[in-house]
Amino acid sequence: MATHSPAFSSLRVLELADDPGGEFTGKLLADLGADVINVEPPAGAASRAVGPFVDGRAGDQDASLEFWTYNTSKRSVVLDDSPADRGLRAELIASADVLLTTGTPSQLAAQGLDLDALREAHPTLIVLSVTPFGLTGPWAEYRSSDLVGLAAGGLLNSCGYDDHSIPPIRPGGNQAYMLAASFAHCGVLLALIERRRSGRGQLVDVSMHEAVAVSGELANPYWFYPKALVQRQTARHAQPVPTQPASFRCGDGRWVYFALILSDPKAWAATVTWMDELGLAADLVEEKFADFEHRQREFAHVQDLLEVFFLMQDAGTAYRDGQRRGLPIGPMQAPEDLLDDEHLKAREFFVSVPLPTGDERSALFPGSPYRFTAFSATAGRPPRLGEHTDEVRRELAAVKAVPSA
Amino acid sequence: MADFCWMGVGSVATRMLADYGAEVIKIENRTRLDTPRKLPIYKGDVRSYGDEDANPDPDKGGLFNNYCRNKLGVTIDMSKPEGRELAIELIRHSSVVTENFAPGVMERWGLTYDRLRELVPDVVFARMSGYGHSGPHHQFRSYGPIIQAVSGLTFISGLPEREPSGFGLSYMDNQAAYYNSAALLMAILHRETTGEGCEVDVSAVEAGVTLLGADLLDVTVNGRATRRPGYPRGNRLEYPAAAPHGVYPTRHEDRWLAVAVFDDDAWQRFGAAIGAPAWTADARFASLDARVAHQDELDAEVAAWSRDEDAHEAMHLLQAAGVAAAAVQNSQDLAETDPQIAARGTFFELDHPVIGPALFEGSPMHLSGSDADLWRSAPLLGEDNDYVFGTILGLDEQRRTELAAAGVI
Repeated sequence: MATHSPAFSSLRVLELADDPGGEFTGKLLADLGADVINVEPPAGAASRAVGPFVDGRAGDQDASLEFWTYNTSKRSVVLDDSPADRGLRAELIASADVLLTTGTPSQLAAQGLDLDALREAHPTLIVLSVTPFGLTGPWAEYRSSDLVGLAAGGLLNSCGYDDHSIPPIRPGGNQAYMLAASFAHCGVLLALIERRRSGRGQLVDVSMHEAVAVSGELANPYWFYPKALVQRQTARHAQPVPTQPASFRCGDGRWVYFALILSDPKAWAATVTWMDELGLAADLVEEKFADFEHRQREFAHVQDLLEVFFLMQDAGTAYRDGQRRGLPIGPMQAPEDLLDDEHLKAREFFVSVPLPTGDERSALFPGSPYRFTAFSATAGRPPRLGEHTDEVRRELAAVKAVPSA
Repeated sequence: MADFCWMGVGSVATRMLADYGAEVIKIENRTRLDTPRKLPIYKGDVRSYGDEDANPDPDKGGLFNNYCRNKLGVTIDMSKPEGRELAIELIRHSSVVTENFAPGVMERWGLTYDRLRELVPDVVFARMSGYGHSGPHHQFRSYGPIIQAVSGLTFISGLPEREPSGFGLSYMDNQAAYYNSAALLMAILHRETTGEGCEVDVSAVEAGVTLLGADLLDVTVNGRATRRPGYPRGNRLEYPAAAPHGVYPTRHEDRWLAVAVFDDDAWQRFGAAIGAPAWTADARFASLDARVAHQDELDAEVAAWSRDEDAHEAMHLLQAAGVAAAAVQNSQDLAETDPQIAARGTFFELDHPVIGPALFEGSPMHLSGSDADLWRSAPLLGEDNDYVFGTILGLDEQRRTELAAAGVI
């Protein structure tokens, strides 16, 4: 099995982050083998207080699944606001290739961090700032959250139900922060590649608001070109006009997504053959349905028959049988279903990660979504609060003890 | 970069490298147009996604323009032996090869990693697909909504006790694209450091699973299934507890306001900002625990207030008081009135020979030393054949004319 690349295992990242966007960015680098030092206050990073908790142990700083999700493979160092610890922080920054921060300009100032001065003092340092709105602009100090970020950036406008008396509904999983992290990850990689040429670091200023604003897929092009606004529709593409539902309930109570493109004759033929084999095609086998315009006129009838068709089978069967016929269908799997997904199993996607519970436990974590023949990324144990404080202090002292040449 | 990518994921993935200076040569087939060239996103002509022209003008599509800016465009018919030979010449002149075809297509053309390494010993070969290049489902069809369904992202999104609302977009087209951009950059950085190339296999489904958040660990660590009453949670937040936390109506039809109040200090600021109506002092809402316990009543009160407000005015009122809030903005808001987007230059305009001036979604990361160079709109079909086949590969005009006449380019 491939191992970490020296391109990453030689890197030190100092992380001063307190939201999932910054923490996940650090995790992505840490899983690649970078030495990512998460600097936490004595009470622990805010995410350590966020549930769910292992065995419901709320209040235990080493029990947050939220923290574990976003902090695999890192080291944890506790520093307070004392001048001595600020001094240690400065030494750690001096030793780092990348400084990762999530503070807004005023929050950075309150933490005693002047990014411009740091860059001047450390010309090779890459400063990676991941903030809700970016370091500049009229909203730079606005407060945010995942919900607020998705709303401001427009993605939320596309998500929800056909029934518009229901407000737009936030997708799960902190996706505004995840989008910020994706760009932060790419931004720091670009800066690292550039640094090999110029020898200089730079500021990478990533805005969650912009990350969300450019990730709405069709919504902006629909405004940029035909000046149309998309309307949210249940679990399928928001579009300028309503389209037919694509969610179908199966006999086992589970849902599948199935987008039947009525205009596609191949997909139509495959669907009718499939329905007919189960004796459920009814009149769709008739010649007149070979005509697209007829199908379009009768789409409510087609939809009714599809609803019955899916109710007569379970979601897993519909998935395999539909895909075997080349039809675009997918079951809406719950997280617990993923552990039994035969494809993910065959690819050995989930990996066992030791837990920082002090009792030799381990649990399955998502593995790396990218696979390289030359090197690998893999999630390692998340740190206990302050687990590496002494170790890192010793390392700094050892560096200082070496007389400079 | 010899870029065989098409559709959404691949084109967005290589766009990032094009923005930041890579010479990305997009290889297209005149007989099988890239789907974004055909999707009817046209100026002055509102149509749904599925309502395509039978014979579309390949240079008119707005989505293609958005996805393929800053790239060079060439045409090669890979079904012809001379086309495949030409592609091999192009690969010899490249250091990165990218593709997001259905698994098996590159193999059919003989373009395996082993073959590419013969052509370019330190090649980076990036393969982007829905399910990855191994496993029993690797040939499955994988549009964005399917990736979202299969990876669990759809299920975790919606109101409890009804069907998932999921995502109203191919969210995973964008996210898988960004993961692929990152993977490409990682492979390039590894090569810059060690001299060694590699093959990259990114699965969009697996990328989706990494984005589920802590609910997944609740399953694997605590054995707590998400198929349970009350899950998913709609706009309410369980971890951390927050209330009010939701999306509320405003005085304009189907315009909404998102509000997130995480602690008692923010609650005090929220109450003061909206003029301290009596209900904000109600004992049922006096602490975070109490507000969470009475969320239905609390949401009704907040909605009764917000219903008379303008979404943006309310956003600024609350933000001025230090409360996290935002109008649920649409694309017109982003493009025309959002002062942050304007100040940061997120959207930018470029002219296009057929489409004319158009807005583009720019880069949300601003690099002080080596920022994006946004120099041209998307190539017309085969626009750069002369430059790439002539200047880069050295084919003379007569040869290019022959290849064009034979339908190879």
